[in-house]
Amino acid sequence: MNRSTTVLMKIEESATVLSLLKSDLLPMEVVLSQFNSKLQSSSHLAVCNSLSMMLQDQKMLCGTERIIAFGIIYHCYSSQKPSFNPFLSEMISAACNEQLEKSERAFLLHLLQWNNYNNVKEILKQSAVDYIRSFDPSTHDFPELGELQREYGDKADTGPSSHIFADYSLKKLLHDPDVPRGCDPNSPEFDVQPGGNPRIGSGDRDEALSGLLENSTMGGLAPRWIRPCPPRYPVHQSELLWIDPDNKHELVWDDKMCADTSRGATVRDLLVKGLKMTLSPSEQEDITTELTNDPKLVYNCGITARKLPQLVEHNPQIAVEILTKLNNNKEILDDFLAALVNMDMSLHSMEVVNRLTTAVELPKEFIRSYITNCISSCENAKQQDKYMQNRLVRLVCVFLQSLIRNNIINVKDLFIEVQAFCIEFSRVREAAGLFRLLKTLE
Amino acid sequence: MDSRDSSSAVASDAARDASLLSEDAAVLSVTSTLAKSALSCFQSGKFEDCIDILIQLDQKQHNDPKVLHNMAIAEYFKGGCSKSKKLLEELNCVKKQSEELASAAREQVEAVNPGTNVSVSKDQFDSTVTTLNIAVTWFHMHQYTKSSSILEPLFQNIGRLDETIALQICFLLLDIALASHDAVKFLAVFDYMDKAFGVGFGSHEENGSTMQLSSNQGSKTSSLLSSSVVADTVAESSLCEETLDYDNVLAAEFEAEKRMKSVGHIPANNLLKTLSERSFSTADLKLELQLYKVRFLLLTRNLKLAKREVKHAMNIAQKRDSSMALLLKSQLEYAHGNHQKAMKLLVVSGIHKESGTSGIFNNNLGCIYYQLGKYEASSQLFSKALRSCSSLRNEKPVKTFSLSQNKSLLITYNMGLLYLARGEPLLAAQCFQKASVVFCRQPLIWLRLAECCMMALQSGLLDRSEIRVNVVGKGKYRKLMIEENEHVELDGSAQCGKLSLPLARACLSNGIYLLNESLLNESKSDRESTLSVGMNETKEASSADHGEANTNSDLKEAKGGLNQDIIQSSLSAFKNIQSREKLLIKQALLANMAYVELELENPIKALAAANSLLQVPDCSKIYVFLGHLYAAEALCLLNRPVEAGAHLSAYLVGQDDFKLPYEQEDFDQWRMHTSSDCEETLDSSTGNARDSVFLKPEEARGALFADLAALLATQGHHDQAKAMITHALTLIPNNVQATVTAVYIDMMLGRSQDALTRLKQCTRVSFVPGRLEVRAS
Repeated sequence: MNRSTTVLMKIEESATVLSLLKSDLLPMEVVLSQFNSKLQSSSHLAVCNSLSMMLQDQKMLCGTERIIAFGIIYHCYSSQKPSFNPFLSEMISAACNEQLEKSERAFLLHLLQWNNYNNVKEILKQSAVDYIRSFDPSTHDFPELGELQREYGDKADTGPSSHIFADYSLKKLLHDPDVPRGCDPNSPEFDVQPGGNPRIGSGDRDEALSGLLENSTMGGLAPRWIRPCPPRYPVHQSELLWIDPDNKHELVWDDKMCADTSRGATVRDLLVKGLKMTLSPSEQEDITTELTNDPKLVYNCGITARKLPQLVEHNPQIAVEILTKLNNNKEILDDFLAALVNMDMSLHSMEVVNRLTTAVELPKEFIRSYITNCISSCENAKQQDKYMQNRLVRLVCVFLQSLIRNNIINVKDLFIEVQAFCIEFSRVREAAGLFRLLKTLE
Repeated sequence: MDSRDSSSAVASDAARDASLLSEDAAVLSVTSTLAKSALSCFQSGKFEDCIDILIQLDQKQHNDPKVLHNMAIAEYFKGGCSKSKKLLEELNCVKKQSEELASAAREQVEAVNPGTNVSVSKDQFDSTVTTLNIAVTWFHMHQYTKSSSILEPLFQNIGRLDETIALQICFLLLDIALASHDAVKFLAVFDYMDKAFGVGFGSHEENGSTMQLSSNQGSKTSSLLSSSVVADTVAESSLCEETLDYDNVLAAEFEAEKRMKSVGHIPANNLLKTLSERSFSTADLKLELQLYKVRFLLLTRNLKLAKREVKHAMNIAQKRDSSMALLLKSQLEYAHGNHQKAMKLLVVSGIHKESGTSGIFNNNLGCIYYQLGKYEASSQLFSKALRSCSSLRNEKPVKTFSLSQNKSLLITYNMGLLYLARGEPLLAAQCFQKASVVFCRQPLIWLRLAECCMMALQSGLLDRSEIRVNVVGKGKYRKLMIEENEHVELDGSAQCGKLSLPLARACLSNGIYLLNESLLNESKSDRESTLSVGMNETKEASSADHGEANTNSDLKEAKGGLNQDIIQSSLSAFKNIQSREKLLIKQALLANMAYVELELENPIKALAAANSLLQVPDCSKIYVFLGHLYAAEALCLLNRPVEAGAHLSAYLVGQDDFKLPYEQEDFDQWRMHTSSDCEETLDSSTGNARDSVFLKPEEARGALFADLAALLATQGHHDQAKAMITHALTLIPNNVQATVTAVYIDMMLGRSQDALTRLKQCTRVSFVPGRLEVRAS
């Protein structure tokens, strides 16, 4: 575990500080100059921080050590205004603390240069022991806390952090004396006796001091805010990606490259027009001629099975022409015929089928399903108006008669179906006629 | 000789010098022969030969855009389809050139002979194919918006295009719409296809009977029906088994396949054929569109209707390739939360047998295992899926190379979610960063990346969840030093790599930006909805003149009226789901933002984020709680304790009690957020239940007590604070922060003995011997 970021002082540094605190016989000036030479200014804050923590505990340091500790804190910031000293408020409250020795409080007032306490330099020439010994409490009067705070409080720096939690942070040691139950932890019997066997509950003050120096950190104890980390956003089923293979969208080769685009262009354009309106006779003739001249043109004239119904509706003759030309290619023709079966019944579609039957030989299955479709269309037309239905029935009858007369279909294949149709629509004259035709063929 | 010259010569004056004409014809025939052999080289994968021929052609037909176009395509395949950027540059160049030539030719023709047909130049310089290829390339680069905007003008004029090209454009648009979750665009395209190619949401039964044309198909109908029944029962029977074991499922599948074979009915896998390779008979198209219909319903989460339609797709697919329909059925069961059934259907679909689709199989199976909470298996499947994707990429010859089957970035995203669930933020972040190529416009991926950062930091700062007490000295001089307000960094924190709080902040602000943008667009499109409907009508009108005689489609519309309603309602339901999800993501983004800003010690920004969070409409109670807590803390840090107190007192009941800030139900609802469509099946005990761990409602109440105590303590109200913190510690006895606050209050009240007892009782305190002792031992 890497704790270098939190522990402030190196082991050597804390040993130095400890030995300086114990130099109570040397003039304080000398102690402070040794402090200067042995410790870098970068560690001053850390040292002061640890010292101030130990000073808050009145029993950790003895009288001379406390004097020297305050001296060090003062010294570190002596070149600046008192208000820059982050430990000013602690010095002020110690100076007014009646529980402390008067000599110590007077020393602090000298350091703070309050009123007539102005001979810091003289005092520092003495050793800590000498200062305490020569101190005469009767010559001093001590200010109230409020007085001092008014004097320095306004100037006091608010410290490195400025929010309320940091402001109120506490630097305090908790006593946790480890002595047998019922014993007074303050009794000197638990101090380590030189030479004697250490007894349970005894402790070495110096060891504790260096431990504190080494382990002290910058932070204090402050109220802590609970800041819950937001919960991780739940993974909804749709966020996890289920993959569905899409169509392979490959790059397309442009097969019109260098194709002879001039030929057939007119036909293609005319046919596009023919999907929407009836073409003039001359236009129709143009198409027929072109299709006859180039037998392959029919395959790329732009008409596909899906476009066929529109062509049938507007230009049945052309549709017949195209279907006839496609006769050589069974597969494509089947597609086109399927489109014919699936489109709605109409005069034009029947006309196309009728003409086609005379021009080419159509698959029997096609004709059969076409007729079935015709009949069911008539039946379904019931929901629409009667007039339309009658008209459709008439058309189908005529169409069927034509097929029978031309021997396109074998009546026997469809006899029952057609007969039922005739009976259902016997009110229509043409149906009766067809029925009679069927009877004669029987 | 320039091609433009030759064409205009033919067009403008037929009575020109006969010798010149025949010369033209000769050139034409030579070039068209070359063109044919170039095509056959291309089709057989001999790209070098193909390019050689194209170079010859280019010398004859100098600067013919179509030659240049095919050259770019051939070069691209020759280079193993790796230089997409270069291809795009070249195609754009060709497109520009042909447009310039086309307009020049038109002017020329009109100048010579005003009023004549300009179709010759139209064909010659038509850039449709080029445009389509540009869109295809963008699509494979996952740039769906770009691809779609390029196709848009083509789609506007789609009636005039060659049918094969038109189909390719439509299918590409459908896939783009699905990939970008754009249901509206999907419907626009689908409606067109429905009208133009006659298969739609309308009645299918009557079509089904008339579709049977030739007798061999017709007579087969009955046998097909019976075989389909058999196949279905086989599938169902294999589904009844309760085992989840993958091997068992496989075994069952082989069994099923054997039985299917004995019926003489093997579905040919059509998945690996490219569009242009497939010949689209009306029936194929019908199946294809039916499958897209199911995809649409799955996208809009209309599971009921999807179930019906997928059944129909299965019926159509029986005599063709049913793998796709089975896969969709599996997806449907997955969406329903029927994971076992989904798994079995996935196996039955047979897509794991093809190298091209085995990656997809593994990914989808991985999704199922993830939902079951089996992260280990899931992770293995995802890695397997990634491996098969990369092996596909290296496959030779290039012809079989199919960019679009390369789904590795999607799988990578799934992998990222998995790593996040397993608490491996570094790996997760790597995955999300890779996948961001596809998803960078989606706010959610930015939230996930930020979560990675935060998780990394939390795992790097484990020590924060403990109080460290340094024990110094011995015996009478034993002292305790409490170490707090300091992050103790573990060595592990070095592993956080590039993940940091500033990165989290950047990700979150990206996410918030994108989300606000899309919310803005949403409200805009709502306002313009009347307008877009109007546009739709004109579009329909223009496509209707194809089939104006086709009364069948009108009839179908009349019958399918109800269906249209269902489609519309599922569309609007989907819109609602989407906007609700957006708001949920917004809450998460803002809450995380406030948290990160607090961590970064930016109380002003944290306060802003928390305030926006509190303003989100219908904000989840959980996030309202977080919003108040973050805002209060930020205000404390800004030395505004009174306002901070106001945020906390929102939950006060009377003077000194807090109500629960949210209920457990709130949390469950939030966790399942969009489950309203499948509430009856989703089991909260499965996998993702442990995805998000958060304070229980009582703990949240404890946090309120503790935070108010902290606030009061700083205000000097130590007695009140003491009461609060005592209450807090009964609710959250081992909370570190609350314990610290309590210790602080005890010491401020001069009760250090209480503080000592408290520390010794708290389980999350570790007493650390001072360094001296450590050194001595």
